[in-house]
Amino acid sequence: MIRLQNVSKSYAGRLALKDVNLHVALGEFAFLVGPSGAGKSTLMRLLYREETPTSGNVFIGGVNLNKLSSPQIPLLRRRLGIIFQDYKLLTRQTAYDNVAYILRAHGVDEKEVRKRVNSALNVVNLEDKQDAFPDELSGGEQQRVGIARAIVNGPPVLLADEPTGNLDPATSLEIVQLLARISQRGTTVLISTHDHTIVNTMRRRVISMRAGEVATDVDSGFYEVQGQIQV
Amino acid sequence: MRHLRVFWRICVETMLGIKHSGWSNWLVVSILAIALTIFGSVLQLTMTLKDVVNYFGSQMVISAFLKDNFEPGKVAQEISQFVEVRLVEVIDKNKSWGEMQKTMKVASIPNPLPNTLHIRVAKPEQVEKLAPKLQLLSGVEAVRYPMMVARRINEVRHFFEIAGVAVTAVLAFATLIVIGNTIHLVIQARHKEIEILSLMGVGHFYIKCPFVLQGAFYGAISALFAAVVIIGVEFYIIKPYISNELVSFASVMPTGLGYNLVETFLIMLALGMAVGAGGGAWASGRYIKI
Repeated sequence: MIRLQNVSKSYAGRLALKDVNLHVALGEFAFLVGPSGAGKSTLMRLLYREETPTSGNVFIGGVNLNKLSSPQIPLLRRRLGIIFQDYKLLTRQTAYDNVAYILRAHGVDEKEVRKRVNSALNVVNLEDKQDAFPDELSGGEQQRVGIARAIVNGPPVLLADEPTGNLDPATSLEIVQLLARISQRGTTVLISTHDHTIVNTMRRRVISMRAGEVATDVDSGFYEVQGQIQV
Repeated sequence: MRHLRVFWRICVETMLGIKHSGWSNWLVVSILAIALTIFGSVLQLTMTLKDVVNYFGSQMVISAFLKDNFEPGKVAQEISQFVEVRLVEVIDKNKSWGEMQKTMKVASIPNPLPNTLHIRVAKPEQVEKLAPKLQLLSGVEAVRYPMMVARRINEVRHFFEIAGVAVTAVLAFATLIVIGNTIHLVIQARHKEIEILSLMGVGHFYIKCPFVLQGAFYGAISALFAAVVIIGVEFYIIKPYISNELVSFASVMPTGLGYNLVETFLIMLALGMAVGAGGGAWASGRYIKI
């Protein structure tokens, strides 16, 4: 589902990613780990086409993202669910309207919008907070709204860029378990994080990055504080 | 149906954008209303002056002197077929000679005058085009018209046209810049929101279109304000005072001429909306980087 072929990315001569090769299959759940500056966020930005690689190819569902024209980028992003560390919610809209926004923007009729938004809010267990504005919600609740928004279109791929970065450990684990449950429905989930506790608790595939390279890639792996993986 | 729903959502987004713009709405509407008031006034002035020039121009007469063996009525009918011709008047040579004999006491000689046609045109600029055509007619001996007056009238009319276009262009450019910069401020204030929409996969058209509509909305509201000012000036100052003074001062001035308020308003509305939408399109194209 996700494939990177000899991908490198540099910024003003500084190499952020170096010859990265990676494959994440359909329905797979994987962690992308590594210390700050390891290249996790750069890799995620390449996947949702916020950036283009300096060399190499990035494929999602067989589509080469390098070859997408500017008007095709929104079409790609509609096939992805993207979750951010800072939630990126529309502050002047309620939880319901945040989730419904993308559907309304594509002219989905309001009856269908209600059905799909309620279903997404049900998955993240936030039905009772649908009328709340983001600043009336806790960090964990805001992130759950972000997840509901990401899954409302039923995307085959979920990309979560440091989704627990602003959350306490208990809420972080709750969020990651929620993403794991979504993955069980056949969605490919890739989570970038440097939170070793949740990675070690989940025992799923761990792709470890160091200095812009894939250092290790292990199924049911661990992530230690130093960035070492135990099998 | 889906497109209608998308259009409706874009309108909703536009109204929300206007609501969130707060005080800057009034700033841009005030500036644009002032510009449109100036534009509307200049437009009225040029339209009125053009009408005055046209009125005097249409009073200008082309005289066609006919050959003796041609029936004046038939030639007049032939001439009236030209699209430029508004009126053809036959001046019978015997009647003219009789009047001349009465007033000038000329000797009793055979009538030397030709039958003459007085031709008036619909528009003054047509005088110089029509005269050579008349000269080519078989029944016409000679054609006379006040060439210098016709040229001067055309020059004045042309000047008003150019002045109107120049004022329109300058004001349109100035307002385009004002609206563009206001929309730029709105875009800056909403840049996080725009980034989120882009990351969610909302299309470029959906993101940018509300800013274009916002500009058009500013144009429409400003045209309404400008129309209120112009109508107020028309009914409370020009009609009761200036018009009467002008007519009593210059009795040769034609009456019932001048601008049409509805026409002026519609032109201001169209220009305001076009410039507003243009400013929105320019700013969203330039400053929204998706």
